[in-house]
Amino acid sequence: MAHPNPIRAPFWTPGVIVLAILMGVGATAVLARFIGGIGYVSNLSTARPWGIWIGIDVASGVALAAGGFTTAFLAHILGRHYFEPVVRPALLTAMLGYTFVVLGLIVDIGRSWAIWKPIIYWNPHSVLFEVAMCVMFYVNVLYIEFIPIVVERFKGRVNLPGSLSALNGLAETLLGLADKILSRIMWFFIIAGVVLSCMHQSSLGSLMLIAPTKLHPLWYTPILPLLFLSSAIAIGYPMVVFETTLATSSLKLDPEMHVLSRLTRITIFLLGTYLALKLGDMVVRKTYVYLLDGTAQTNSFLVEMVFGIIVPWLMLLSPAIRNSRRWLFTACTMIVGGVMLNRINVFVVGYRPPVSENNYFPSITEALITVGFIAALMFIYRFVVTYLPVLNRPGQEVST
Amino acid sequence: MTRMIRRLSGGIAILTVFAAIGGLTVFLPGSLLIHEAIAAADPAPVHQPDPAWVAPDQEKAKKRAQEIVPFVEAVMEECELCRQMRLREMGLGIKDSASAYYLLDSPIIKKSEDLYGPVRFKHNKHAAQLKDCALCHHYRPLDENAKETTRCSACHQEAFRPDHPERIGLKAAFHQQCAGCHQEMKQGPTDCLGCHNKNVPDHKELVMLSGKPQPTEVTRECLRCHKAAGEDMLKTAHWLWKGPSPHTLNRSKHVEHGKATSAVNNF
Amino acid sequence: MEIDRRKFFKVLGVGGATAIAAPTRNGHAWQSKAPPDPYGCLVDLTRCIGCRKCEQACQTVNSLPQPARPFDDLTILDKKRRPDEKSYTVINRYYPGRRDDRDQPIPFFVKVQCMHCQDPACASACIVGALTKKENGTVHYDVTKCIGCRYCMVACPFEIPAYEYSDPITPRVMKCTFCYERVEKEKKPPGCAAICPVEAITFGRRNTLLKVAKKRIQSDPGKYVNYIYGENEAGGTSWLYISSEPFDRVGFIDVPKRPLNQLAETIQSALFSYLWSPIVLFGMLGGIKWAFRDKSHAEHPHKGGES
Repeated sequence: MAHPNPIRAPFWTPGVIVLAILMGVGATAVLARFIGGIGYVSNLSTARPWGIWIGIDVASGVALAAGGFTTAFLAHILGRHYFEPVVRPALLTAMLGYTFVVLGLIVDIGRSWAIWKPIIYWNPHSVLFEVAMCVMFYVNVLYIEFIPIVVERFKGRVNLPGSLSALNGLAETLLGLADKILSRIMWFFIIAGVVLSCMHQSSLGSLMLIAPTKLHPLWYTPILPLLFLSSAIAIGYPMVVFETTLATSSLKLDPEMHVLSRLTRITIFLLGTYLALKLGDMVVRKTYVYLLDGTAQTNSFLVEMVFGIIVPWLMLLSPAIRNSRRWLFTACTMIVGGVMLNRINVFVVGYRPPVSENNYFPSITEALITVGFIAALMFIYRFVVTYLPVLNRPGQEVST
Repeated sequence: MTRMIRRLSGGIAILTVFAAIGGLTVFLPGSLLIHEAIAAADPAPVHQPDPAWVAPDQEKAKKRAQEIVPFVEAVMEECELCRQMRLREMGLGIKDSASAYYLLDSPIIKKSEDLYGPVRFKHNKHAAQLKDCALCHHYRPLDENAKETTRCSACHQEAFRPDHPERIGLKAAFHQQCAGCHQEMKQGPTDCLGCHNKNVPDHKELVMLSGKPQPTEVTRECLRCHKAAGEDMLKTAHWLWKGPSPHTLNRSKHVEHGKATSAVNNF
Repeated sequence: MEIDRRKFFKVLGVGGATAIAAPTRNGHAWQSKAPPDPYGCLVDLTRCIGCRKCEQACQTVNSLPQPARPFDDLTILDKKRRPDEKSYTVINRYYPGRRDDRDQPIPFFVKVQCMHCQDPACASACIVGALTKKENGTVHYDVTKCIGCRYCMVACPFEIPAYEYSDPITPRVMKCTFCYERVEKEKKPPGCAAICPVEAITFGRRNTLLKVAKKRIQSDPGKYVNYIYGENEAGGTSWLYISSEPFDRVGFIDVPKRPLNQLAETIQSALFSYLWSPIVLFGMLGGIKWAFRDKSHAEHPHKGGES
């Protein structure tokens, strides 16, 4: 089996340049937010305190990073080493995803400099407090889980430039120490990562339980935390397929189809569970009466259900589709889009405050910040896989 | 229409104040001279108001308004109609009224805020028109030795007394009784300024002028707070008036005179 | 493979049994944290004359910015307003349908401000506990703790908290303070209640006010609708309203008659009290990992498998 290696492909491709431009535009918008205030760049209001920064950057970001803990569970807890090739890219995606969740929060919260305050001032009744604590710990767990990749790259090869070369020995010792200690305690962080993920993935759904009058009944259900957890688990492997296929096709690497198609066999069961919960909830609470209302909310719900869950689930049932790179990618993209739409629906589209009935549509600058963050995430992903051993490199060099 | 007139008159009043302060500063030395000259020429006073004289009923009303009488804890429960009938049978009327004129004011109200001046209330005029004491004197004290009708401030004093949560305070009693009846009868004012003037804050504290200010400085100081009044004034005929000058320059009659064109104090 | 699977379910079964047993052991019924004898305000909407004096007093007491149009400008009532970051309370005018003898619609005025819920959703939601319910009834905001996440605004069923969106560094959540300092230290009623010329706002203990409200409705059933808005709304609020017009016709929304934080707090405490579920989950996963540990890799002898 091929071992992960740095890609060593030219870094500045046209795609990367586009990403850099989007990042620059986003950075300008972020600057405007910190000079003019949230009101200057966004369409947020008293009636609509949360917009796409929460719906996409935070809620969707957390969901899309679910590949990290689901693959860690499969490969490292169940010991299915067959799936090893996708663990590192999934881990990198999760690490970057959560980093940008935190950055998104820094932009969104009014007093960004006070983001540390929940560490001191605790409100154990607050769902958000629990989410914040879990995310804080989990980000650190992800970084720790990533250290071995850095160690592997530089151990025995430390060569600091110029006068810093005097520290070569020290750095080498540190790397060796980290390697030794981490390999003994990594099991703790791997399990903690799964536990923390389960906790805050579900609690992200509990966030909206406090607003029964504001969230559309199609989404407001007491099992919202369960739906969030099951959808996060279900999206884990499709997200790995999505992101691995994107990376391997753009870098012309081994598509790892044997791993991916086996992964998605598990997804049939996981996504089926999510679908069953969602349909069951709809039947029990009789919310199907809203389905044909024709409002933006109901249509968005229908899109989420049909194109985000049902159609891709049916597609995955067919082995032909699971073994076709193009079709598997299509199905997984639909699942990823469906769960992402679900998060946006819960936090943005389905949120209808009864008094103000204020409609919200993100402003251009607001969207540019979100786009900039996504671009930055992809940029760093590309950077890391170029220089660190994350992706499997095939035996022979492939020209780009 | 009335509102317009009121606003207009308010504007004019402010305008007069402006003009007076402005004019005073300009003409102060001159006018003093004129006064002295008149005084020297004609020592006999035309009309000298006696500074010691005061309106007796106004003073009486003022004094009465300052009184705080003992609080009536309990009132006799009787139906509106029963009370009306009873008072009529007793023959209660204007003759029993202690005074024809009251000032509706009290230190009880002033304790929380002092935004408006007292209301000048013509008691007997209301009594004569209504011919029904029970309309306002709606309850009597439970104490049988007390008078049948008592003043409002005996039962209604401070608001939100924990021992009498249902009893409204004096300010609310006045407003509910007066404005409520005015509305119902469609007579009498129902707005704030219809009954009492706004208390103008003491300008000694507010005006910040030092030494001998220039006329324009005075105007600027007024405009510091009364910006809107200043802008309004610029749209009045008083300011916009223009006319041909009787004393022309350069043998033409085209120079126009007016406050906004060639007057001295046109800030 | 077969053995693996059997082992897997065994481990899962043990963990699962603990998981089911735990909530019954730790789970306790949700309890209200409402103060027993808070202050409150009873707004009698039949008395309100729409003079906006309460807005003026609020601005003075709370040192809010001077509005663009003066408080005695009543034309501002032509538009419906909401409390915002510059005004904690507003008066709105409605024409619910009654007409006078000249066939003119009779106006009806409604004061809007924070309801100061007995079990406030905002306080339950607040990540740092910047919002708290005080003994005297106030839902109090402590700006020194706030991080600006605006979850309180999401949680509030009355859509009251506003935000200083234009401030880039130190924005605040802005809502009625119930004149906390004034009530607590100076022993005075809130600014709006004190200034109201017609005592449309009665200040007192909530329990007393409920009695007063019931008495007023009873003594004039033809005038009032038989309902006290705030008695049970969101589990009860410190501010109460009585009206001559049906509440839904004059801008009041239907709010659940139980505390809004009850469901979320019940689920949270059932799942996470004493952190039992994370600990159980951690144990289960540890067990699974141990059961599936890789024995073939002799060169990695450390506990719990490899990384």
